[in-house]
Amino acid sequence: MTRLSQFLARNWAVLLLLALWQGWVSLADLNSIVLPAPWPVLRDVLSHPALYLANAAQTLATATAGVAIGLGFGALVAVAAWASRLLAGMLTPLGLIFSSVPVVALIPILARLLGYDISTVVAIVAVSAFFPTFVFVGAGLKDLPRGADDLFSVLGASRAARLRHLVLPAAVPNLMIALRITVPEGVLAAILAEFLMGRSGLGFMFREAASRFAMERALGTSLVVTVAAVLCFSLAHRAERVIRTRWS
Amino acid sequence: MTPRARLHRYGPPLLGIFLFCLAWQLIGTYRLAGLTWPPLTAVLAYLADPAHHQLLGRAARTTFAAVTLGYLTGTGIGLALALLTRLFRPARAGIDRLVALVHATPAIALAPVFMILMSRETIPVAISALAVTYLIYVAATSGLEATKAAHADLFRTLGARPLTAFWRLELPSALPALASGLKLAVPVSFMGAIVGEWFGASRGLGLLMISAMQNFQIPLLWAAVLLTTLTSLILYGLLGLFEAAVHRRFR
Repeated sequence: MTRLSQFLARNWAVLLLLALWQGWVSLADLNSIVLPAPWPVLRDVLSHPALYLANAAQTLATATAGVAIGLGFGALVAVAAWASRLLAGMLTPLGLIFSSVPVVALIPILARLLGYDISTVVAIVAVSAFFPTFVFVGAGLKDLPRGADDLFSVLGASRAARLRHLVLPAAVPNLMIALRITVPEGVLAAILAEFLMGRSGLGFMFREAASRFAMERALGTSLVVTVAAVLCFSLAHRAERVIRTRWS
Repeated sequence: MTPRARLHRYGPPLLGIFLFCLAWQLIGTYRLAGLTWPPLTAVLAYLADPAHHQLLGRAARTTFAAVTLGYLTGTGIGLALALLTRLFRPARAGIDRLVALVHATPAIALAPVFMILMSRETIPVAISALAVTYLIYVAATSGLEATKAAHADLFRTLGARPLTAFWRLELPSALPALASGLKLAVPVSFMGAIVGEWFGASRGLGLLMISAMQNFQIPLLWAAVLLTTLTSLILYGLLGLFEAAVHRRFR
């Protein structure tokens, strides 16, 4: 009983939304080309598991590759900027500027520059992940544990030793924050890029279904996209928490 | 600040931005990235040419109107939801879950629903408002929780009515977080409007970008993107100044 009421307390708004959807479809007696009810949408997903899974796997693989590249480069450049004050002073404002630009506006430019290709989708995701990573990891490197830096200088540690034992470990928690922030953005960027220029993946599947008014398929794709995004989001969130408790 | 300290502080950022513009120009001039990367001056000249002002101006007016409307609507809904959870706390968990779910849903997944519910011209406003709602809701709820326990105790001991406590204590302590939320919502509202235009709007900067991309109108493509990003950045900067002022006053 308590479990049920707990579930209701957390999910009442989502359930209400589903009920409104179903009620609206039944009351207005809508054609399934206009708006299908929740159940037929779910049925379309369940009866074509291979199609949905293949496209979802493709999108997730593209997004993962892009986020990994963006995180790697972002962290690398942040560490390079740590090594030189001039470089840090030059790059930090650029990083801040680019991480507060609406990234989706860059998708058409990147698509034109790199060609309509799956590697372009990866590049778009990587660019959207790069700037926030650079900014967050850079901030983490500036905010080293107090006294630790002094200890290293007193003990006469070399610059390389400082980098390895102090700076790189200090960067990890912020890298995880960057991961949490860039994962949803990366999934969105991948799907948008597929929508605009892809030939496969959830974004393309969605455009293809919407263009022939297969609303059950289109909404089914929406459902799969949402589930995948929520899954990625909570995984990244959990990873951040685990690392944060282990690390400090 | 001494001139030397000023140089240390502002020199590297300005140098960085200058080198960035220089690289853009050189890559464009010498065609290092192919024909689709124009030099910076070519893009600026395109923007400055009065012959293009009608096209760009009309698109920009449409998009900026959608952004403004989406931003204001999203802020209103976000604040209203935050107030609702403040007045009626048991609703909090459910609304938190719904807002987080809607946020995690990529805008594109909601598009079919919007296409059914509204005209294609309102989709950019709706997606923009939805994205802003999340940010403002999170900022406002965490801001309302930022009241210091000692202050709340003082208000209670002195017998302040709940409404007084809300206006005089909780609202002012929520303002810094809210100001940060308002700043971060700027690029988000632009993003929402542009993505919304990709679902069949008849004009706007987002649509201009896509048609320029498909028709190989390279200067137009870059000009539309530059116009969008610069406007977003300028508004972001202005709200950043506002945020700094609020933080100084209320923290």
